[in-house]
Amino acid sequence: MILARALTAGLALLAVGGAWGAQEFTFDASEFQRKPFELGGYVEFKQQHFTLNQDGSIYLLNFHQQPRARLDQSTLTLKPEGKVRAGAASLNVRAHLEGDWETRAFDRTVRFDEFYLSYKPSPGLTLDAGKIPLKWGKGYAWNPVGFVERTKDPNDPDLAREGFTMLTADVIRNFDGALRTVAFTPVVLPVSSDMNNDFGIHDHINVGAKLYLLYHDSDIDFLFLNNGSRSRRFGVDFSRNLGSNVEIHGEWARIEDTQRQVTDATGKVIAVRRAAATSFLLGLRYLTERDTTWIVEYYRNGSGFTEPEVQAFSHFVDNAYMQFTANGNNAALSRAANLARSGYGRPNPGRNYLYLRVSQKEPFDVLYFTPALTVIANADDRSTSVAPELLYTGFTNIELRLRAFFLNGGAGTEFGERQNSRRIELQARLYF
Amino acid sequence: MFRVLLATLLLAAALPAGAADGNEILRKVDRNLEPESYEMYRKLINIEPDGRKKEFVLYSVKKGRDKVVALFLDPPSDKGRATLRLAENMWLYIPNVGKPVRITSLQSVVGGVFNNADILRVDYAVEYNAEGIAEEKDSYILALKARTGEVAYDRLKMWVDRKLLLPTRIEAYATSGLLIKTLYFKDIKDFGGGIRRPAVVETDSPLYKGHRSVMLYSQLKKREFPDEVFTLNYLSRVEDLRK
Repeated sequence: MILARALTAGLALLAVGGAWGAQEFTFDASEFQRKPFELGGYVEFKQQHFTLNQDGSIYLLNFHQQPRARLDQSTLTLKPEGKVRAGAASLNVRAHLEGDWETRAFDRTVRFDEFYLSYKPSPGLTLDAGKIPLKWGKGYAWNPVGFVERTKDPNDPDLAREGFTMLTADVIRNFDGALRTVAFTPVVLPVSSDMNNDFGIHDHINVGAKLYLLYHDSDIDFLFLNNGSRSRRFGVDFSRNLGSNVEIHGEWARIEDTQRQVTDATGKVIAVRRAAATSFLLGLRYLTERDTTWIVEYYRNGSGFTEPEVQAFSHFVDNAYMQFTANGNNAALSRAANLARSGYGRPNPGRNYLYLRVSQKEPFDVLYFTPALTVIANADDRSTSVAPELLYTGFTNIELRLRAFFLNGGAGTEFGERQNSRRIELQARLYF
Repeated sequence: MFRVLLATLLLAAALPAGAADGNEILRKVDRNLEPESYEMYRKLINIEPDGRKKEFVLYSVKKGRDKVVALFLDPPSDKGRATLRLAENMWLYIPNVGKPVRITSLQSVVGGVFNNADILRVDYAVEYNAEGIAEEKDSYILALKARTGEVAYDRLKMWVDRKLLLPTRIEAYATSGLLIKTLYFKDIKDFGGGIRRPAVVETDSPLYKGHRSVMLYSQLKKREFPDEVFTLNYLSRVEDLRK
């Protein structure tokens, strides 16, 4: 009797449990119907602590007036985005509002990353006009075929970038057989003192195009930009899965005319190199059975500086700094700063680079937790940037990331001459 | 000796027939689960051992046997992400990144027990061949083998309701024979238009002890789409398909 009661009670409990289980999961999609107006985006707070490299060329250029060993920077960024739809047309907006509180000063940035009208009369045709962040290429860290976009930061390749004002279209056609898709993307990009003035030489209307093919399960793009604000350039890229866990990709670009100012150790510009340049990238993405993702890339920067050229520039900065400390004259340092802006001081100015990123998804059964390690190496001078990282996305709409950067290399090397030798960064992003 | 030979011959003769029946059942299971071309909404819920949940809402469209697109509608951190599958090719579009990148079927764009192959599932009959069929009182049990090495799971063991020809449980195995996950099909619901199928798919995995993931279906209906929708260039515009 007792057993029967216990059994009945147990069954009733199970039934209730089952009912709870059923109630636990309900879903009505009607609350997710499309709206004519959308607003979203994120707000991000980033705190950075820099250990400055007091022997580095870039440090000497930026800090010779106010030497210091450390620097802190707080950054608050708001990236709101919105879309308004009316029939086949839509207006797309993404703004970038940033405030930087650095130990020495406050700086702010206000701009639109994108602001364009889009008209889609059919799924196979789209016309866009306005400020558009077009992205070309298959590389993860670098894109030598990114002819109509702002340069990607290999430390933050997934970061949204500011677009250029342009007219563009997208024409898509599908077929049966080995060639499944053809898509053509022409671009018209005017440059003047009022529009796209940082793209290149003013008063040109630049024309470019991308032809995409999905052929035998491979993505292939042919890309072109005419001679105008920038010299004529063309390229090709590809991407293909070799199995359920391996992807390979590559890019090749030919720039018909490049110019570089090369200096010697006294600061004399010894050559203005004009030549055609070929750049290329080869990469691999591999997922192991343990959910570790490996991304490996080799980048050949055809228009980059050679190792002796980078060393000569470093010597020039050292000499200019000695001159400044001896007599207070910073004319040579100003000249070096100009040279740095035009090439030497840009991210990855060298010839040969290796990129490695290893990320482990959800180790030790911790959901939404991804530790990673990124290494960028200048293959010529063997200097490196090593960046361990912890990412957690377990709180809905919140992304937390902790990163450190360790820059290694001797005198005259790329990473050994950078402004800082270490950097710790904590970033919290709230999506809305 | 003669008996052994006879038994071998009988088994050899029976196997292809079983496989043929199994493949026929598999094709019916595919059509009973979804029309060949459709649109639908899904909610994915990842449940951690301590009961914490994370939810995603997706809008998906499919055409033919092997073209699928899924767009994330919620949460805001994932909104606008879109994934495309053409047979064994898969791509992920992230609005911030601004261009599609190739992904693999074993990765998971949402974390948790469901991976890309579960989220962008094409017809079972496209990916698997029935190698054997067994019968229980209320179920067929299909032994399915992946047709190529690019399929996410090497083998499936599928329990199919004999009357409804709908799956009730699927065990997914790696090439090594390791059980990767089990899917449970529950709560059969009438979606209208002659579609009657489980509205809930739950999964657990010995690789994620204590974790569970649930997929809920809503507004599943037949709809035809042009081929251009299933291309890389269209991934940033999938939202335009929603009415």
